[in-house]
Amino acid sequence: MKRLLMIILACTLVFALAACGGNNGPSPAANNGGSNASNNQGDGGQGNGTGEQEPDPVTLRMAWWGGQPRHDYTLKVIEMYEAANPHVNIEAEYASWDDYWQKLAPQAAANEMPDIIQMDLSYLTQYAEKGQLEDLTSYLGEQIDVTNISENAISGGKLDEAIYGFNLGVNTIQFQYNPELLKSAAGVDAIDPNWTWDDYAELSKQAAANGVYFDTGVKEDVFFHYYLRSHGHSLYHPTEPKLGYEDDALFVDFFGRLAANVQAGGTPTPDIRNQLAGNIEDDPVVKGEAIGIFQWTNQFVAVNNLAPAELEMQPLPGPDAEEGLYLKPSMFFSVSKNSEHKDEAAQFISFFVNDVEANKLINGDRGVPVSSAVKEALKDSLSPEQAKIFDFIAWAENNSSPLSPPDPLGSAGVMDALKSWVEKLDFGNVTAEEAAAGFRADAEKALERAQN
Amino acid sequence: MHTETIKKRVPRFGSGRRLRSQLTLKDHLTGYAFISPFVLGFLMFTLIPIGASFYLSFTDYDLFTTPAWVGLDNFTEMFTGDQRYWNSVKVTFIYVFAGVPLRLAFALFIAMMLNNASKLIGVYRTTFYLPSIIGGSVAVAIMWRNLFGNEGAVNAILTTMGLEPVGWFADPLAALWMLIFLSVWQFGSSMLIFLAGLKNIPQSYYEAANVDGANAVQRFFKITLPLLSPIILFNAVMQTIAAFQTFVPAYIISKGEGTPMDGTLLYSLYLFRQAFVFFEMGYAAAMAWVILVAIAIITALLFLSSRYWVHYESKGG
Repeated sequence: MKRLLMIILACTLVFALAACGGNNGPSPAANNGGSNASNNQGDGGQGNGTGEQEPDPVTLRMAWWGGQPRHDYTLKVIEMYEAANPHVNIEAEYASWDDYWQKLAPQAAANEMPDIIQMDLSYLTQYAEKGQLEDLTSYLGEQIDVTNISENAISGGKLDEAIYGFNLGVNTIQFQYNPELLKSAAGVDAIDPNWTWDDYAELSKQAAANGVYFDTGVKEDVFFHYYLRSHGHSLYHPTEPKLGYEDDALFVDFFGRLAANVQAGGTPTPDIRNQLAGNIEDDPVVKGEAIGIFQWTNQFVAVNNLAPAELEMQPLPGPDAEEGLYLKPSMFFSVSKNSEHKDEAAQFISFFVNDVEANKLINGDRGVPVSSAVKEALKDSLSPEQAKIFDFIAWAENNSSPLSPPDPLGSAGVMDALKSWVEKLDFGNVTAEEAAAGFRADAEKALERAQN
Repeated sequence: MHTETIKKRVPRFGSGRRLRSQLTLKDHLTGYAFISPFVLGFLMFTLIPIGASFYLSFTDYDLFTTPAWVGLDNFTEMFTGDQRYWNSVKVTFIYVFAGVPLRLAFALFIAMMLNNASKLIGVYRTTFYLPSIIGGSVAVAIMWRNLFGNEGAVNAILTTMGLEPVGWFADPLAALWMLIFLSVWQFGSSMLIFLAGLKNIPQSYYEAANVDGANAVQRFFKITLPLLSPIILFNAVMQTIAAFQTFVPAYIISKGEGTPMDGTLLYSLYLFRQAFVFFEMGYAAAMAWVILVAIAIITALLFLSSRYWVHYESKGG
């Protein structure tokens, strides 16, 4: 009887340990045996698997946000890299945009950040100033091959004379639309490239009258920032911890107009948008329920592949679109300060931005490549939709203004306040004036609090 | 194992006191060794973090840099400056004080149905307990979100019944009720405890009541409820404490944001957002201590009130 109990106890312990191991799969505590689950189980509780005979096997953790297509091809790029560098094993941790940042923060606090982190301009300041990211300056020209990459592109990840993120591609915002639906629902063949916000409201009304959404809403902070820039302001003050515009009429004008579209049925209500967030397969454009979508150029291919018709591209509404528009590093790869294999991580980044075969898989999903050699090599193999993006970026280079500084500390609170006030406004619970004042109060409080 | 049994015998029949004390010390050590996983775990993962969070609640701490002492600032801001805080308190109180009684009533109702002898009782019990086992999981919350979605099953049913579909994600209160329904649905553990309590009520009381001509309602209010009241108290306390700490369903259903319009921004979700989205760790720690005190007070009130409605058979005779 006692022996039986001991056996049961032993089994329980083994299972408990195995369960711990399984949970820790993506963490550094996981064994070197391999990246797939079956391998982990095979090793059981014996800790490190025997591994390969390679000298110094290295396990890198790499994290990114995105949708399913991005996960798929990134995993292929990783396989490609592992095949070329058998001693490197890369463990992937991927999530949607929201989940990604909520997961990264505790990891940072625990000094458990992945070695390679996909980073966005809006979070770069936060992580860099808190000493979480490695300055990549000393890796340039060493582990990271920059022979074909312009100084300008590299400096996109610059903050206080240090490079905290390596630019993966160039990006800008635009309106992508389904021309067939535009014709049938809004009654026009094409949108005037010099359209204004008034034209937009008019088209939205048309679409709503025909029971179709014109657009699927905007990411509040990005497009408000664009609008403010076109009026000579910006969302954040470049130096002080406050908003970059003084006149709340700008807020009222911009979001009041958008809220009117929502209430007229030209844009989905926030509850519908929330349910869709991060799920491109259910996007109204994909389902043929909306004419177009305001978003980044690098997101064009994914939507276009699923959309019922070939999508067209369109600059954002003006007036003064040129002042508002900017080219932005689509995203960065940063190396975490706590990484034990910074050299290896930098080498992977170099591969990611410079390898032509890898970039054929990436296919511009992380922005138009920064390497001129890659751009040149891709030219012949570009798909038509890809070529559209390259052309649009080339056009935007001549029709945009310099990038604003990276978002300041506390921007997470500002974005949250903006989203929350715009939601109230879209539901018609507050007036645009109330939302403008409420947002200003909350935002400035968030910025001030982050300063201490 | 064998050595252990022998050791135990030795002191009993042994000759010297010295041997005995040595063995006692050894026994003590063995004892400590056996409880050490708990003790160490308790120290490392409970006691020390509790102390740290108490200290942090008086600091401004952003997770990455050294905490800076700010005294009572966090608490002042919480009580006087933060409207969203009070909104989250309101939402949480509605959630708890609507959800817990409903859940208990539902659990008692099902328990009484299951109290009848039936061959399939085991199957029923398991079936009704299932939602509680899987209830805290992410999958259920995602399923719930889809059920209540604009094109979800709930609205489809409402429409076929000729009712207006509800925008569950458009109205803050509707979204909160969706969460409450989820918590009511997870009544299993309370139900099991009620079931055990019901089985403890002597059948003879009911028989006597029957003889006296009491009907089912009278039997329920005069016999079942009073005799079950200690169990109700227990369940109420446990469920209230648990409900105050609800996080997962609110997080999953609102995608971590408490939407719409903070309607599902439960206390713990707001706390989480302060900590891991806004990096206000000190503020979050202060919030955690306030809710701890609040739960303690409410639990104490429940216990105090119990003398007016809980009937202990042994005491009253």
